[in-house]
Amino acid sequence: MFIRDLSCISPQATYFDALFENGAEELHGPKLWAKEPSYKEIIPNKLLRRMSKLTRMSVGTGLPLIKKHKDIEGIIIASSNGSLDRSMRFLNQIIDYNEGTLTPTDFVQSTPNSIAGVLALMGKITGYNTTHVNQGLSFEASVLDALMLFEEGKSKQLLLGGGEEMSDENYNIDSQRGLHKAEDISTSELLHSTTKGTLPGEGFAMFVVDANKNSESLAEIVDADMICHASKEEIVKKAKYLITKNGMSPRDIDTLFLGRNGDIRTDFYYNHLQNTLFSDQNICFYKNLTGDYYTVSTFATWLAAKFLGGAKLPEECFWKQTTNAVQNVLLYNNYDGEQHGFILMRTV
Amino acid sequence: MANEELVNKLKEQIIQYLNLIDVTPEDIKSEAPLFGPDSEMELDSIDAIELTVLLEREYGIKITDPKKGRKVMSSVDKMADYILENGMV
Repeated sequence: MFIRDLSCISPQATYFDALFENGAEELHGPKLWAKEPSYKEIIPNKLLRRMSKLTRMSVGTGLPLIKKHKDIEGIIIASSNGSLDRSMRFLNQIIDYNEGTLTPTDFVQSTPNSIAGVLALMGKITGYNTTHVNQGLSFEASVLDALMLFEEGKSKQLLLGGGEEMSDENYNIDSQRGLHKAEDISTSELLHSTTKGTLPGEGFAMFVVDANKNSESLAEIVDADMICHASKEEIVKKAKYLITKNGMSPRDIDTLFLGRNGDIRTDFYYNHLQNTLFSDQNICFYKNLTGDYYTVSTFATWLAAKFLGGAKLPEECFWKQTTNAVQNVLLYNNYDGEQHGFILMRTV
Repeated sequence: MANEELVNKLKEQIIQYLNLIDVTPEDIKSEAPLFGPDSEMELDSIDAIELTVLLEREYGIKITDPKKGRKVMSSVDKMADYILENGMV
């Protein structure tokens, strides 16, 4: 599967690629807000006024790609929470107004698949339309979905993407689950932290992907895999399996993108994988740019695709930099130490 | 003629309920149609339900007959008149 074009909204200046010119901005908690562009030229006010932040970000990244690439046949979206904020508002209104008349807008926007629905309506794409909501593996599942569609010959070009918004509701729920840092911390301190929790973030990344390589191809997504409730040894085994299944050995991987997030409870997975299989590779991190969220691997894929396409990553991304030529990249991320996702990419 | 204070309050509530972007109460003409081809507001059927909810929550008025709703919500002035006659102001 080949990435032809891509777009990203994140807490960094990624929408117009200023991240690669100006470097990463140091951000402070307790949560990292996405830097949204002005949507006025992309979304008519009439539609914009009803959109949640998540829908805005997805249309802001997806619609310009749909307009530019007229051959997109279907849409696959990853978003675990969707517009959870709207769901909570809708449910609270049932109580506040004693099960009386409810406003339709919050209900319409409350489900994760409203994103793919809105994009299909605005872009007039009547083909395949699916949303994956399996928490920290939503995007990896979306990648597999696209790979299988291409393999079966059911589609040739797709819009693939995902993201989350960190609304107050999301933040409160995840805080009560103990996922966030109790102390004030900045992005530059995050990866050196020795305490529990991480910095929550938000964003959306979108890709135009093709079944076949063409002159516009920027990078290839070779394969994806996932495993849940695994030990650190099983993570190594899974990474080896994915790499060898695709005709490579761990030595062929030159760059590793790791989802290290500064949570002392789960970062050992990254250390173990890195120390066991990848001692001589470039090691890149990205959650010190974006914070953590269920579909943060969309941001990692966006960053890796840019890297494979020749972009110079900000120095904050490199934990270890070698002189290796960049050809084969492995992305490994875990969510809360329970859901582990892998994406294998390479140059075209 | 509708009460001016109520009309202004209603315009603010319409902006809030419909989440109108870049619109101030001064931009909404009291006598102008809210719906239909002659309307500058470009409101649709979902907005009509939002305005029905506004009338119920803010003024205790339940609109159950769509024909009546169409008349009541034809302009801000008409809404204010109906509230003065029937609502909890």
